[in-house]
Amino acid sequence: MSKPLTLFILILTVVLVLRLFIFYSTKSQYKDGESISFNSRVLSEPKTYRSYQSFWLELPNTDRVFVKTEIYPEYYFQDKVYLSGSLHFKLLSDKTRILSMDYPKISFVKTSFPQEAGLAVVKPIRQKIITVFDKALPKDLSGLMLGIVFGIKQNLSKDFLDDLKTAGVMHVIAASGMNVTITAGFIFYLFSSFFKRQLAVFLSILGVLFYAFLAGFEASIIRASIMGIIAFSSQILGKQQYSFYALFLTGFLMLFAAPKYLFDIGFQLSFSATLGILYIPLLFKRWQSVYLDSFLTTISAQIATLPILLANFGTYSLWSIVCNTLVLWTVPFLMILGGIAALASFILLPIASFLLYLCLPLLLFFVEIVSFFAKLKGNIVFQAFPWQFSLAYYLLLASFLLFYLRRND
Amino acid sequence: MTKYFLLFPILFFLLGGLFFYQNQKFNDGKLHLIVCDVGQGDGILIRTPRGSDILIDAGPDDSILDCLQNHMPFWDREIEVVILTHPHADHLTGLISVLKRYKVMHYFTENVKNNTLVYRKLQDVLAKNNLTANYSFAGNRIDFADKISLLTVWPEREWFENQKLQDSQNSITDSSSLDVNGFSVITLLSYGNFKALLTGDGGVLAEEQIVNAVGKIDVLKVPHHGSRTGMSSLFLESTRPDLAIISVGAKNRYGHPSNIVLDLLEKYNVKILRTDRNGEVEVVSNGKSFKVFAN
Repeated sequence: MSKPLTLFILILTVVLVLRLFIFYSTKSQYKDGESISFNSRVLSEPKTYRSYQSFWLELPNTDRVFVKTEIYPEYYFQDKVYLSGSLHFKLLSDKTRILSMDYPKISFVKTSFPQEAGLAVVKPIRQKIITVFDKALPKDLSGLMLGIVFGIKQNLSKDFLDDLKTAGVMHVIAASGMNVTITAGFIFYLFSSFFKRQLAVFLSILGVLFYAFLAGFEASIIRASIMGIIAFSSQILGKQQYSFYALFLTGFLMLFAAPKYLFDIGFQLSFSATLGILYIPLLFKRWQSVYLDSFLTTISAQIATLPILLANFGTYSLWSIVCNTLVLWTVPFLMILGGIAALASFILLPIASFLLYLCLPLLLFFVEIVSFFAKLKGNIVFQAFPWQFSLAYYLLLASFLLFYLRRND
Repeated sequence: MTKYFLLFPILFFLLGGLFFYQNQKFNDGKLHLIVCDVGQGDGILIRTPRGSDILIDAGPDDSILDCLQNHMPFWDREIEVVILTHPHADHLTGLISVLKRYKVMHYFTENVKNNTLVYRKLQDVLAKNNLTANYSFAGNRIDFADKISLLTVWPEREWFENQKLQDSQNSITDSSSLDVNGFSVITLLSYGNFKALLTGDGGVLAEEQIVNAVGKIDVLKVPHHGSRTGMSSLFLESTRPDLAIISVGAKNRYGHPSNIVLDLLEKYNVKILRTDRNGEVEVVSNGKSFKVFAN
């Protein structure tokens, strides 16, 4: 790394830290017991307990609040809601102080079903695709497919949603941008081994934009796409280092413009997944083989996002890590086959059906594994996820990577 | 470059296996009669020996779809005949979901309209699929190439028109107060020596009228979820079923099935299977004898 560049990055980092510090310290102070009402967005996948469910919500002024409410109606990650109630401070067992609201009055503004989100142009197109998927695949499988490709949950049965939650793979069908990141990484690697660099980048960008379009241009998905496009294309076009700078700059700009993304799971997921896809495959170089290669993107993304997934998506157990490892590799294949099938449904229906049939073995495998692990449950369940674990995890991961990169230089 | 396409031969192989397996499983040359577990309601799938599909009612929600996907191969998205016995929500709601996912060729029902929201929704979906209702009356018969026949035994056209006339004279214009159940379409399914009577929500009145046309049967779908208005000893005396299937939801608020009906069936030595206790009930016949699969 050249000196001026290092200095530049250092300065940017300091600027960003300052920006975040000022942003988070000047946020308006809430009083204990204050009653408020506001529009908000569900920040985490709700965890369901015996008699209540709980999740994080965005507060108007940069903060977030921990909400406890009745089990029904069920809420999902990124639902938009309006709620009123009184705000309280709560001291967690690890001495951190959080804002919480118990049983506030909540009404839906918009569900996370992207069918209602996004551009109006997209709607009829998506509806057509949903019909084609439903007519080609059995109910649960088309629901899963729609969940993976578009982030649509409404076509999944309650039982299967529960299974996904218990097995800890709910993030696969959340419109968090993680799927787009994984698929973007996969497409870029795939195309760069087929075509000339420039063509590969061009086609990959088209591919990623196509998925962003299918997912209804949700904000989180657009962010993930931008991040992926910048980082992966600079990797293909230049050296490994360039993509790091590109990713750093993208992250910097996004956080500088909207510091609240710091606690946005979608942002955390796509940023760390991108970073993971760029660097973690280097660790596996020694074992790289024809068979392992295609799984490498998903495994890398998974390694890089593990603590975030553990902390935010349902009841995570040690088994869920195993379950994720077993099923996650199918996601880019399903997304790509599903994406082409979606295109084909406007051109030649039988081709769309055939492509969806091709997904059947993968989908059946996915469902079987998930329901197997959902029955197992886990004996070690992380309830409140300790931030110390995440920190330790990332420090260790960084040390491995840095050590490895240094040795290879 | 070819390494990424390693997955395709694997997928082709697995998909081929799946086609082979499901073809063996679902096209076995036998008649399958499945009383689906749809909770409080009716939903019955008949798969003929050559793989035609007949759906009689579709239950109160989309749980009928699970039943269809478990008993039809995944590539078969055509249902040749749908019969809606009468326009009540616990029989028709699931049909809306079915029409969204399956291509229905022929639609039969009784000539009674309803004014509920879900009924109007069904009319919309039917129109969108270019389906017009064929009204079923006693004597109508649908024959399939594989020797399966569906004979409508109720309602009788003459009786039906009289009844409608009376109702209009009594100035019953609101169809909700009309006895929709009494008109319920009753179908006799036969394959060789095997006979099953599918009664919808039919009542005693209808049953006693049809006994001559029906004769001895093997399987009876007990009328109206086992309601006490559904059966008489005269009816059982002449039809003498071996197996009675009650499609009913656990802990339903109507108290179905009634003890009167259960006692009556026991008196005539009829084996009883209930969807609330036994789950879905499948009857498989080769035209001579039949086997039953249930929990």
